[in-house]
Amino acid sequence: MAPDIFTYKNVLPQKSTEGGVLAGKKVVIQPNMSARGWLTNAGSLALEGFIALEDATVITRLRNAGAALIGSTRMSELGFGLSDDKRTRALCGGEADIALITDTMGEVRVAAATSGFFGFKPSYGIISRFGLIGLVPSMECYGIMAKSPEDIITTIGAIAGKDENDFSMPDEKLPDFSMPEESPKTTGVAGVIKECLSTLDDTELKAFEAGLEKIEEAGLTIQEVSLENFRLFQTVHNVIGSVEASSSAGKYDGVRYGHRAAPAKNWNEMYLSSRGESFGLLMKTYLFQGAYLQFENYPAFENACRIRRRLIRDTEKLFEHIDVLALPTRRLHHDPVRAATIGETYDAFLLTLPANVTGQPSLQIPSLCLNSGADLGLQIISPRLSDARLLATGMRISSIIHGAKET
Amino acid sequence: MNYEAVIGLEIHVQLNSATKLFCDCRNRPGDQPNQNTCPICLWFPGALPKLSQEALEKATLACLALNCTVQPESAFDQKVYYYPDLPKGFQLSQHHRPLAKNGWLDILGEDKTVKRLRIHHIHMEEDVARLVHETEGRTPISLVDFNRAGTPLIEIVTEPDMRTPYDAMEFVRSLRAQLRYTGSSDCSMEQGTLRVDANISLRPRGTDALNTKVEVKNMNSIRNVADAIAYEIKRQTECLDRGEPIVLHTRLWDSEKNVTTAMRGKFFGPCIPDPSVPKIVVTDAWLQEILGRLPEMPSQKAARFLNEYGLTPDEASNMIQEQDMSDFFEAVANENLPPRKVASWMATHLIPFLKDNNQTIKDTPLTPKRFASLLFMLETDVINANAAKEVLTKLLSSDQSPEEIVEKGRFRQVSDNAELEALIDRILADHLSDVEDFRNGNAKVMGFFMGLAMKASQGTANPKLLKEILTKRLS
Repeated sequence: MAPDIFTYKNVLPQKSTEGGVLAGKKVVIQPNMSARGWLTNAGSLALEGFIALEDATVITRLRNAGAALIGSTRMSELGFGLSDDKRTRALCGGEADIALITDTMGEVRVAAATSGFFGFKPSYGIISRFGLIGLVPSMECYGIMAKSPEDIITTIGAIAGKDENDFSMPDEKLPDFSMPEESPKTTGVAGVIKECLSTLDDTELKAFEAGLEKIEEAGLTIQEVSLENFRLFQTVHNVIGSVEASSSAGKYDGVRYGHRAAPAKNWNEMYLSSRGESFGLLMKTYLFQGAYLQFENYPAFENACRIRRRLIRDTEKLFEHIDVLALPTRRLHHDPVRAATIGETYDAFLLTLPANVTGQPSLQIPSLCLNSGADLGLQIISPRLSDARLLATGMRISSIIHGAKET
Repeated sequence: MNYEAVIGLEIHVQLNSATKLFCDCRNRPGDQPNQNTCPICLWFPGALPKLSQEALEKATLACLALNCTVQPESAFDQKVYYYPDLPKGFQLSQHHRPLAKNGWLDILGEDKTVKRLRIHHIHMEEDVARLVHETEGRTPISLVDFNRAGTPLIEIVTEPDMRTPYDAMEFVRSLRAQLRYTGSSDCSMEQGTLRVDANISLRPRGTDALNTKVEVKNMNSIRNVADAIAYEIKRQTECLDRGEPIVLHTRLWDSEKNVTTAMRGKFFGPCIPDPSVPKIVVTDAWLQEILGRLPEMPSQKAARFLNEYGLTPDEASNMIQEQDMSDFFEAVANENLPPRKVASWMATHLIPFLKDNNQTIKDTPLTPKRFASLLFMLETDVINANAAKEVLTKLLSSDQSPEEIVEKGRFRQVSDNAELEALIDRILADHLSDVEDFRNGNAKVMGFFMGLAMKASQGTANPKLLKEILTKRLS
């Protein structure tokens, strides 16, 4: 395998700890997750050469669970969008069993859908953000990609939970991942959003319907539901995301670490040229947009926050009548790797970013939504903190459909 | 035209918690540069703020001391601007949802009536780093000291209720006393732990318009606050009289030239809610617990001193400024001495001495008992006021008893009639022409003779007795 897949390659991964739940598992991370002593550049020149000073809480917990950390893969700048599929190749090549990918607008799920893996974005606030070099703190979180749902359950069980270094975690009862609820047959109602269907073309619709048939076979009832403001998820994410990104990236001045431009005539010029040389075009556009909203159109941001609260409420309401929402994961004609503008990027993640806006857990299941060889991926979403139930459901659907051993 | 000034204050107070607001670094900005820093206050990638419980408690105490309503929920925002003193690119401050609202302080106005000045709100925020500008050879360089970055501040924003420089000065004095009693801050304008910015606008007297204001910063004493405001009122009056508009901007007070100079346009950056610091939720039980920690506050104490000790409002105000001095006053007054005399001696001799020597009472060997003995000797005519002043100076630097000092230093007052009569007769005999003068109606000569007699007795003569004898001899 080509070495340029890795940002940092761990030549001496720790030996699996006896008895650890992740003993024997090889885990690859991204360089926006702090691992002490590793190059941690978050895919940006703004952090060029930055070596993490301490382990992120998630990294500490992975080590304690016995995982072998084999390195970090190259990533899109600051985790915004997907720049390549090298992480997936690391998994395909058998070098890793599990990949941690930050999910800002659906990256872990779309990457998993593209390569036929499971991808999981947990509920917002159940994993410590300490040591995560984030961009959009209110919507991004650690995502897990693996070949089997069992590996996802084990990993989330190992890394989730209270952390005294992250005061932003809400004080609430966390899902118990130790024993996914047992049930011989999957029952319940899967809601399909009418307004989401209308964004799909014929090919996508066919693939999605094939997937729905399979989950019906697995025992779920399909029901059409309406989320009138479905298209607003995109706008809300774009506005809030860019404003938060502008704030988060404000610290990258090239003085304490990262790329520093040639000497300038004063500090302001120095900031301008260091930042100008550091960020890629897509990131620059995003940061400019966020700064514009902050300084020139703050009411738009306030409106977006208000609409976000309404979208969360509307979505929660749907769950009074259904158990999960079912959506395709990716769009065939909107490839995130090729997205060159903010608009194209947001189009590529249209179907995944609602879960980032609402903070709800979402599981991408492979090999259900197939049409002439292409796998659209099927996402199921459930209420916040019902992660364990969602994973159990996903596991059963998968095992029933693929005839694997019942769990 | 006859204008009225409308004055509001924005006051930053540095809290004296052991650690910074969002990390465990020591809250000691004056240490060796960049010694008190960590990945959180330097805002390295992956850092997360953790709110200091102690800072929150001290901020809350301050809010309660200023009669504010602590909000059940408050939250931090990011105040965005880019400057080398700000490691994050934003300052964590409570803009949208402050810790407390609607407070007030009562002051005694120039006309000696009580005036209630309202406080709009109090919010918490972190301080920024300190910039040091130097030259390296001939190249100007700027250095950043992050010791101060992230240290806890509260900002007190008043309503524009003040009308005169005196109002503002009294407000700051009262606020400083209230806050010092809470133990939350040293409140030193000289040290920069209390920083007062004033917003000033003018309007024709009798109208209630709120016109464009000018912000004045950089005053480093309470006196400066009054001077800067007075200067700004004069400057704006002249502008308006010339028909020039007032432009919103910030001015710096220059305490050497006694003028304000324009610094920059007033800056308004965006403030967006911070997603990393959880909102602060205050329960009633917790608030009661904090409230219980407040000592008797200076405003209450002043009222009590009026009633219990019969002090005047001015005397009471002088006695309550510092908690240790108010305790000292009570201890001395309770030694059976006339309270007003105690207050007067503390206000005119003891407090100025401590201030001149940059000391607190605890830095000296003076105890309430020793001070009381001194005043007792003064009261019983053992010594006179001149001698008492000298004895006090000695009491502040040695631990000899006041009686010992009086005896050894020959401070005992001469109240012996015969001795004083002889002394006066000698003086009068040497100044016959002045005696003549006095008898011709020049009353001023009395003072001259008093001075001579005091001098001849080396300051030990009982002045009351002296005057009696002189009057008798001269008539």
